[in-house]
Amino acid sequence: MSTVKLKNLVKRYGNVTVVQGINLEVKPKEFVVLVGPSGCGKSTTLRMLAGLEEITEGEVSIADRVINDVAPKDRDVAMVFQNYALYPHLSVADNIAFGLKIRKMPKDEIRKTVADVAEILELTPLLDRRPADLSGGQRQRVAMGRAIVRHPKVFLFDEPLSNLDAKLRTQMRAEIKSLHKRLGVTSVYVTHDQVEAMTLADRIVVMSNGKIEQVGTPMDLFNSPANTFVATFIGSPPMNLIEATAEVTPEGCYGLFEGQRCLLPTLEQLKDGDEIIFGIRPEYIDIEPTENSTEINVSIDLVETLGSEALLHCKILGKPFVIKVETHGQITHLENLNKLYFRQDVITVFDKKTTNAMIAPNYK
Amino acid sequence: MQDINNSLSTPDSALTKQLKWFVMHFKKEWQLYLMLAPTVIWFMVFLYTPMYGLQIAFKDYSVFKGIGASPWVGLEHFYTLFENDQFIRAIKNTVMISGASLIFGFPVPIILALMFNEVINPKFKKTAQTIVYLPHFISAVIIAGIVITAFAPSTGVINLMLNALGYDSVYFLTKPEWFRTIFIGTGIWQEAGFGSIVFLAAIAGVNPSLYESAVVDGANRFQMMYKITIPCILPTILIMLIIRIGNILEVGFEMIIMLYQPATYETADVISTFIYRQGLQAAQYDLAAAAGLFNAVIAFILVIAANTISKRVSKTSLW
Repeated sequence: MSTVKLKNLVKRYGNVTVVQGINLEVKPKEFVVLVGPSGCGKSTTLRMLAGLEEITEGEVSIADRVINDVAPKDRDVAMVFQNYALYPHLSVADNIAFGLKIRKMPKDEIRKTVADVAEILELTPLLDRRPADLSGGQRQRVAMGRAIVRHPKVFLFDEPLSNLDAKLRTQMRAEIKSLHKRLGVTSVYVTHDQVEAMTLADRIVVMSNGKIEQVGTPMDLFNSPANTFVATFIGSPPMNLIEATAEVTPEGCYGLFEGQRCLLPTLEQLKDGDEIIFGIRPEYIDIEPTENSTEINVSIDLVETLGSEALLHCKILGKPFVIKVETHGQITHLENLNKLYFRQDVITVFDKKTTNAMIAPNYK
Repeated sequence: MQDINNSLSTPDSALTKQLKWFVMHFKKEWQLYLMLAPTVIWFMVFLYTPMYGLQIAFKDYSVFKGIGASPWVGLEHFYTLFENDQFIRAIKNTVMISGASLIFGFPVPIILALMFNEVINPKFKKTAQTIVYLPHFISAVIIAGIVITAFAPSTGVINLMLNALGYDSVYFLTKPEWFRTIFIGTGIWQEAGFGSIVFLAAIAGVNPSLYESAVVDGANRFQMMYKITIPCILPTILIMLIIRIGNILEVGFEMIIMLYQPATYETADVISTFIYRQGLQAAQYDLAAAAGLFNAVIAFILVIAANTISKRVSKTSLW
C-alpha cells in the first residue's frame, strides 16, 4: 500500500529556508490536505514530493521506497496543477492520453482507458474538443482525467480549484471527494483555502513559515488548535482571541481584561498574574445565560445577516470580535445586544509568550 | 421653437459622427498618435509617395518630359521584360535562392532557439547567444569582405583548409555553382541568431507547468521539445513564415551586388540586381519600374496566399 513519508524534509534557496524540516506520514488511501497562507512552503513540499524540486535535506518515500533521487516519471505519482496545465494544441482525448502515449501503451488500450476515464468524469461528449473550447470546470476535470488515467500510487493536487468561481469550486470539491472515495488512492492536496481543507481532508496539515503547526482531523483542528495560528487559520470566521491576565482563586481560574472577569477552564499550570490569551469560537458564544458561563458586556457595532445565521461584530480590547448566532428569522433583537455569555468549557487557553495552547476545550 | 428642436435632434451623418469621434479620440489619446507619427511619416515618404512613380512602368519615360508628360505605352515594358532572357534568368535565380533560403534558412533560427532553451548553464547560454547575434550587427560591406577574404583562392581560410587536406584551391566566388551555397550560407550565419530571438520569446511564453506536467507524465527533454514547445510556438512560426514568404522575391540586394561578378551572373543575378543594372546603370527607368512592379505584385499574391492557407490550416494569420 502507498504510504507517503516525509522525514526532516528541508528546502533551501540560497540562504533562504522555505521548508524547515517537515515530518509527515500519509497513510494508504488517506486524503491529506496541506493548508497554510501564501509562502508557507506547502506547494514546495508537494513539488519535492512530485520530484519537481530538488530536496535539500531529508528523505521522501513512497510505499517504503526512498525516492529522493528517483526521476518524477518513476515515482508513480500524478499531479493536478493550479492552472490545469492542459496542452492547448491537443484535444481532450489526447490530453488525457498524453502520459500513456509517452509510456508507449498500445493504442487500443489507450483508447479504452481514455474512454473509461472520460465516462467517470463525464467528459465523453467533449473528447474531441480543445482546452480553449472548455469551461473552467471542464478543464479541471480533464486535468484530473489526465492524472487518474495512469492509475498512480499517489495523487498530488496543487491548488486545483483556485482558478474556479465559488459555485464551481463547491461542485468540484464534491467531485474530488467522491472520486477519492471511488478510487481510494493516497492523495496529498495543497490549498490556502481552509474551507476546502476542512471539507476534503481526512487529515489536515497546517503549515506556517515552512513548518508544520499542527496535524489532525478537521474537527481536531477546529476544536483543539495547538496554537493561536491554527486557532485563527482554521474556522470561518476565525476564533476570537482575548489577551488577559490570569487570576487563580480556590473557586477557579479567571481571565481579567478591560475590567471584566471571565471564568476559564481549570488549569494546574496557570499561576496568578500569568499573561495569557484565551480563545472562543464565534459559533460557541451564547446570547442567553447558561450554566458555568460568564457574562461579558459588549456593544454591537454591526450585524451581518447571512439568512439563517448572523455575524455580530464588536470590539474587545480594540480588536475585532465576532459572534455567530442563529437568527430564527429575526435580527432586530440582535442589534441591541449588550451582553454575551462565554461558557467555561468552550474556551481555549494559550500561553501569551509561546502562543501554544495550555488546554484545549472539552466540547460537549 | 419647433424648428429649433427639429434641427437640434437631426442626426449627424455617419461621416460627421466618425469625424467627431476621431477628434474627441485624438484629443484624448494624442500622445499615442504622436508616437505613431514617425512610422506613418516613414511609410508615407518612402513607400507610399514613390508609388506615384509606378506609372512609368506603363509609360515611355523620359527624364526631360517628367513622369506626368511621358507618353503611355501600355504593357509594352512587360512584354519586353518577358522576352528578355536575363529577366527570366533573374526570376529563376530569385526563386531558387529564395526557395533555398526558406528551406534551409527558415528552420535554423527555430532550431537555435530550441537549443538555447535547452541550455542550463546561464553563462554559456549568454555567451553563445552573443556570438550568434553578433553577425547581424555587422554591416553588409564588412560581411561581404569577410566572405571574400575567407573564400580567397590563396589566402582564404577555406582554401587553406582544403590545401591542408590535400585538395587544390577552388575559386569559389567565380564559380556559378558555388554562388548560391555561399550566399545562402552567409545569410544564415548573419541572421539566424538574431532571428532566433522571436522564437526564444515565443518559447518563454509557454506555460512552465506544461513542462512540469509532462515531466511527471514521463516525457524526456526531446519529447517535451517536439510535443510541447514546437506545437506551442507554432503560431509564431507560421506568422514568421508568412512574412518570409511575402519577402521571398526580395533577395538581399546589397550582398549580391558585392559578391557577384559577371562570371557568376548565371546563378547570382536576381530581380533586384537586374533592376539595379537596368534602372540605374543603363538608365532604363521604365523597364526597371515594370520589373519592380511585377516583383511587388507577385510578393503581394504570395502573402495573401500564405495568409489564407495558414488561416485555414492552423487558424493563425497576420490579419
